[in-house]
Amino acid sequence: MLHDDTNKYLPLTESTCYIMLTLIEPLHGYAVMKKVEEISKGTVKVGPGTLYGAFTLLEKEGLIIKVKEENRRKSYVLTPKGKNVLMNQIKRLEIMTQNGLSVIDML
Amino acid sequence: MAENTIRKIKWFFPWQDEQEEAWLMSMSKKGWHLASVGLPCTYRFRAGEPRDYVYRLDYQTFPNKDKQEYQQLFRDAGWDYIGEMSAWQYFRKEVKEAEPLEIFTDVESKIAKYKRILAFLWFFWVILIVIFPVKGISIDNPYPWWGAIQVFTLIIWLFFTYNIIRLTLRIRQLKKL
Repeated sequence: MLHDDTNKYLPLTESTCYIMLTLIEPLHGYAVMKKVEEISKGTVKVGPGTLYGAFTLLEKEGLIIKVKEENRRKSYVLTPKGKNVLMNQIKRLEIMTQNGLSVIDML
Repeated sequence: MAENTIRKIKWFFPWQDEQEEAWLMSMSKKGWHLASVGLPCTYRFRAGEPRDYVYRLDYQTFPNKDKQEYQQLFRDAGWDYIGEMSAWQYFRKEVKEAEPLEIFTDVESKIAKYKRILAFLWFFWVILIVIFPVKGISIDNPYPWWGAIQVFTLIIWLFFTYNIIRLTLRIRQLKKL
C-alpha cells in the first residue's frame, strides 16, 4: 500500500504533517501558524523559521503550490502529489494509533 | 545621535549562533539595543532603557521578492526584522508571557538551518580546490608572490574545512536530542 514514490517523504515531522493538514484549503503563513495551534489543541506550535523552511521545501518538492499573493502574504494549497503524501502519512498514523489504543488499558 | 550609538565588530562561528543570540540579549539588558547589522561583522547598538529582548538568527539566501514574504511572515508572528549580515537574518522580540520565543520549533528545522550553511561552505570548499594554484610549488617558480597566494589559499581552505567539521558535529549533536 505504501510502495510508491511518495514513500521517500515519510514519515513527515509532526510540524510538517500539521502544516500540510491545514493546507487542504489555501492559507497564508500566519493563518497556518494559528490553525496548527488550534487544531492540535495547543500541542504543536510552529515558529516562523520552521514554517518558512517547510514552505520552501514542500513547494520545491511539488507538494504544495502558491495560489495567491496579497500584501506580501502568499497563500499555498496542497497539490495532488501533496495530498497523496498526506494520505499515506495518515494511514501510517492510523496504524500507530490502533496499536496504541490496543495497549492503552495496560498502561 | 552619534553619542548614543556604538559600533562593535564581532566575529562568530556558524555553530555558535545561539551564544550570539544570548550575547545580543545581554546587551539589551544593559540598555544597548541592536539597531542594524552590516559587513564586515559590524553591529550598531542604540542606547535606551534596559529591556528584555530576545534575539534570533536565521540563515537564508533568497531573491528579493521572497524576502518580502519571509519578513512579513516573521512580522505577523510578532518578530521585528533588524537586518541581514552575510545571509544571517536577525530578528528580535520583546519577552512577554505566553509569547513564543523561538523561530524554530523543532529539531529538524534547526538542523535544516545548519545544513543550509553547510551547503554554502561545501560549495566554496570545492571551488577553492578547483582554483587552488597547484602549479609551481617549487621555489624556482617565476613569480615571487606565487608562494604567498598558495599559502593564503591553503589557510582559507583549512578555515572552511574547520567550519565544515565543527558544523557537522553540531548537527550530529542535535540529531541525538
